[in-house]
Amino acid sequence: MSSNNFSLTQLQNWMQGMLVHHAPMQDIVLPAAVEDIVNPSQRLSAVHHLDIYRHSYIARLRSCMQSQFNALAYALGPELFELFADQYLDTYPSESYTLNTLGEKFAQFLQETRPDAGREQKENWPDFMIELAGFEYALSIIFDEHADEQPAVILHDTPDEMLKLAPVFHLFHHQYPICSYYLEVIQGREPELPFPEQSYCAVTRHNYKLGLFTIREAQYHFLKNMQRGDSVEAAKDNLVKAFEFKRADLDKIWPEWKKGFIDAGFFVFDEP
Amino acid sequence: MNKTGDNYINIIKSLPDPGLGLGLRSKHFNHILELNPAVDWLEVISENFMDSGGRPRYVLRQIAERYPVVMHGVSLSIGSTDPLNKEYLTKLKRLAGEVKPLWISDHLCWTGVNSLNTHDLLPVVLNDESLKHICTRINQVQDFLARPVVFENPSTYLTFKQSTINEWDFLRYMTEETGCGLLLDVNNVYVSGFNNDFDPVHYIRQLPHDRIVQMHIAGHQHCGTHIIDTHDRQVAHDVWKLFTLAWQLTGGVATLLEWDGNIPEFDVYHAELLKAKQYMSSIGSFVFDAEELAADSEVVSNPVNFLVNNVNW
Ligand SMILES: [Fe+2]
Repeated sequence: MSSNNFSLTQLQNWMQGMLVHHAPMQDIVLPAAVEDIVNPSQRLSAVHHLDIYRHSYIARLRSCMQSQFNALAYALGPELFELFADQYLDTYPSESYTLNTLGEKFAQFLQETRPDAGREQKENWPDFMIELAGFEYALSIIFDEHADEQPAVILHDTPDEMLKLAPVFHLFHHQYPICSYYLEVIQGREPELPFPEQSYCAVTRHNYKLGLFTIREAQYHFLKNMQRGDSVEAAKDNLVKAFEFKRADLDKIWPEWKKGFIDAGFFVFDEP
Repeated sequence: MNKTGDNYINIIKSLPDPGLGLGLRSKHFNHILELNPAVDWLEVISENFMDSGGRPRYVLRQIAERYPVVMHGVSLSIGSTDPLNKEYLTKLKRLAGEVKPLWISDHLCWTGVNSLNTHDLLPVVLNDESLKHICTRINQVQDFLARPVVFENPSTYLTFKQSTINEWDFLRYMTEETGCGLLLDVNNVYVSGFNNDFDPVHYIRQLPHDRIVQMHIAGHQHCGTHIIDTHDRQVAHDVWKLFTLAWQLTGGVATLLEWDGNIPEFDVYHAELLKAKQYMSSIGSFVFDAEELAADSEVVSNPVNFLVNNVNW
C-alpha cells in the first residue's frame, strides 16, 4: 500500500494512537511501520522522530498532573504518583481544550483501580489518597469559579439576620484529616501519612485567594444548613433538632462561632 | 479569494506594531499590577483566561486596561479532521470582546482527533488535501470571529512522507487563500530546520513578509541529534541572527519573547527581550555557531505547566 493512499483522518488517528495509546488505533487500518509514514532525516530515523512526540506527550501531561496534585504527589512519592498518573492518562486521555480539567476523573480513577478492589479486607491508604485527590481537584475548581466577589468588611456586632454565606463557600467532610494534611504539605512541613479521623473543613475565596479552615462537626452541620438556605436563626434551630443539642448551650457558644466565622470570611452582608 | 478575504488582508496589513512584548505569566501578575513595568505589550494565552471566573480573569481585566494585549491560543487545532469546537470558539470570541486584543493568533497544527486532546502542537501533513481542508476551516473561524486570525509556524520534530508542499509555501498559500496573517516564530524555524534538514534562512526568505504581523523568539535545548523547543532559557545566538534577517525582511514587526519553563523574575525576562534591539540592525553573516549540547533525557517540547492554574490561598 502506497503511503499516498492514507486520508488525513487516517493519518491523524494513526499518529494520535502512537502517542496516546502507544499503538495505532485498532479500527484504523494502516501499516504499523513508522517508516511508511514518517521521513527519516540526516541524524534521526523515522522512529526517533516520532519518539520525540511520544516521549513529550506523556512527560508533559504527567508534569501537569504533578502541578495539579501537589499534595497527592508528595503523599504517594514521585514513582508511585508517576505510575498512577500514567495509567490514568492512558485510561482517561484528555478530551478538553483546557488543561485545567486534566485531573477531573483522577479521584474516580483511583477508586476504580484501588489495589484492594474485590478483597474483603480493605486497606486504609487508598481511601486517603482518593479523598486527597478529590480535595485537590476541588480546590483548583474553586480557585477559578465564577462568582461576584464582594469586598466584605463585616463587623463582629453585625446582627445575625444580616449575615449570609460568602459567594465562594464550600464545605467538605472527610474520613481523614485531608485539609490539615494538605496545608502541611504546601507549607513544606513534610507530614506523615495520617490515621483515619473524621474531619471537616470550609473553603472560601476572598480577593481571589483561597482560605482553608478546619472546622468542628457541629459547625459543619450548622454551615451546611445555611448553605441549604437557612438564616442563622433557622440553621441554629435545625442544628438543635438534628443533634439534640441544648439550645442554651448553642446560644452560649454562638458569639464565639460568629466571631470566628466572620474573621474567616465565611459571611458577607445580606443586603435586602 | 472572496470579498471578506480581501477585507481580512487589509486588516492584517493595517495592524499596528506595538513593539517588544512579553508573555503574561501568573508568576508575574503581582509584579505587573504593582509596578506597571515599561513593557510595550503583553501576549496572553487565551486558554488560561477563557474559562476563568477567578483571579486570572480578574488580573487580565486590569492588565488589558493598561497594556496593549494580543491573544495567543494553543487549542484551535486548525489542522484537525475533527469538526471545529464551537464551544471553544464562542468562548474565544467572548474573551476577545472583553480584552479587545490587537489580534488573535494560534498555530498551524492539530492537537487531537476523535475528541481527544494531546495538548501538543502536532505537525500537519503539507499537501493539497490538507491545504484545502485548513483553508476552509480558517475561513470558518475568521467569519465566526469576524476578524482575521494570525497563524504561527510550530516547531516540528518530524515530516510526513505524504507531504508535498514546503512549509513556507504552505503558509503563503494559506494567507493568499484566506487573508489570514502570519506569526513568524524565528526559533521554531531554527528548531524545525535543524530537525528536518531544511535551511532556516531560505525558509524565512521565502515567506510573504507583508503578511507577518508578529514574531516570536525563544530559547531551545540542543540535544545533539535534534533540538527541542523548550522555551526555558535565553535565546540562542543563531536564533538572534535569524531574527536580524527576519527583522530586515519584514521591516520590523511586533516581537515577543516566549519563556514558559524555569520562568525567571520579570526583570530578567524583560532584559532578555530588550536584547532584540541590538539585533535589529546588526549586519550578520549567516554562518551558524556550534551550540552547547545538553544531553538531558527529560527534555519536553512546548512545556505546558504554565497552562495550569497555580492555586493561591
Ligand atoms: Fe511560538
